[in-house]
Amino acid sequence: MAACTGRTTMGLLRIFRNYPQYERLLSTSLLRHNVTSDGPPKFTPPSKPVIIDKTQKEASLRRFLSPEFIPPRQRTNPVKFSIERKDMIQRRKVLNIPEFYAGSILAVTMTDPHVNGNLNRFVGICIQRSGKGLGATFILRNVVDGQGVEICYELYSPRMRKIEVLKLEKRLDDNLMYLRDALPEYSTFDFDMQPVHYEITGDVPVNLLKVKMRPKPWSKRWERPKFNIKGIRFDLCLTPEMMEHAQKWSEPWRPYDMLKEYDTSSLEEQIFKEVQENLKK
Amino acid sequence: MRLTLRALISHGRVARRIGLGPESRINMLRNILTGLVRHERIETTRARADEVRFYAEKLIDYAKKGDTNEKSMKMADFWLTEKDLIPKLFQVLAVRFENQTGGYTRMARIPNRENLDRASMAVLEYKGNPFPPLFPVKRVSELNLLNQLLKAYREEKAQMVSEKKDL
Repeated sequence: MAACTGRTTMGLLRIFRNYPQYERLLSTSLLRHNVTSDGPPKFTPPSKPVIIDKTQKEASLRRFLSPEFIPPRQRTNPVKFSIERKDMIQRRKVLNIPEFYAGSILAVTMTDPHVNGNLNRFVGICIQRSGKGLGATFILRNVVDGQGVEICYELYSPRMRKIEVLKLEKRLDDNLMYLRDALPEYSTFDFDMQPVHYEITGDVPVNLLKVKMRPKPWSKRWERPKFNIKGIRFDLCLTPEMMEHAQKWSEPWRPYDMLKEYDTSSLEEQIFKEVQENLKK
Repeated sequence: MRLTLRALISHGRVARRIGLGPESRINMLRNILTGLVRHERIETTRARADEVRFYAEKLIDYAKKGDTNEKSMKMADFWLTEKDLIPKLFQVLAVRFENQTGGYTRMARIPNRENLDRASMAVLEYKGNPFPPLFPVKRVSELNLLNQLLKAYREEKAQMVSEKKDL
């Protein structure tokens, strides 16, 4: 009422002057006054505001299809993969498997009969996602008491209880196996880490971190073009001559070999639709 | 498909090993494919023709996307070693196969090579080329006496069957 324009407030004041018993009408709650005119007014909590952001439509949500849904390129009967997809969807209805990538930090809770309370929680960075269908796996890496630990989890294992994404991000590469040969600080994560908020819309943030490596020998020759790794500071550990020598194994014709192409875009679209439909049922 | 035991149990192998290695193989196929686009009908050994055939069809698929497409232009630039053929690919071959999806080439076996090594040979061509057809066209000889007699016989028999049905 205080927001009314000057003239109308003046008019209202004139009315109140004529009917002094309704002085309390000036209070902001008209209704409450009418109901509880006898006793003291009861406190009724205001209804919880429902925030509906109309700018966010379903179309603007990120479309994400887990990579294990896409069958590999081989001569296996496609029926096998469609049956597995059904089982995967059944499992996903019970267990929430969030969106994550190699480079995201996860906390996984698993059933373990040898532990007090039967639950074992591990926190680490996802360094690889592999496998297709029901047998899909991912590897978490962490450094515990100065010792590097890697655990390979099966996504659809019945022992899997909970997968939490503590930090959703991508790295420069899709496979971070080189963290084994990097300094331990890059794969050390606190077990009491608090989850970082992430957006459901837009692109996934990419962490442009480049890691420093331990001196050679490494488990693999990461400088070779076969691995195509962008997340390593090669300039610190290798000489320009060594980098040039590694180019001997480059295969410049490879992107032009049409026999090696595997275009999954239409297949992905089809499977995404199928999964969305079946998850709603 | 290839009907050899090696192909039957492929273990993921889809390509033949030709030449001195993977790079040599691709370069050899590039040269043959360039010849195919230039002459539209070529004669090579059977394995090479069979191997080039896949790339020849895929190249047309890329060319159909138009010369403004970056990837298709890169592919054409790589696969055609003689650069004067790039306009031909986009303006002649892609236009020719506009209403067709797949099956742009035809392969035919020809007798083994006699002069060099008795290698099995084949002819590979793009369909719709101006050359005389590879396979003889079936002659239509409707007015031949024998054909006319056969036609009359067939008609008579059909009539007899219909009469039988009526009775």
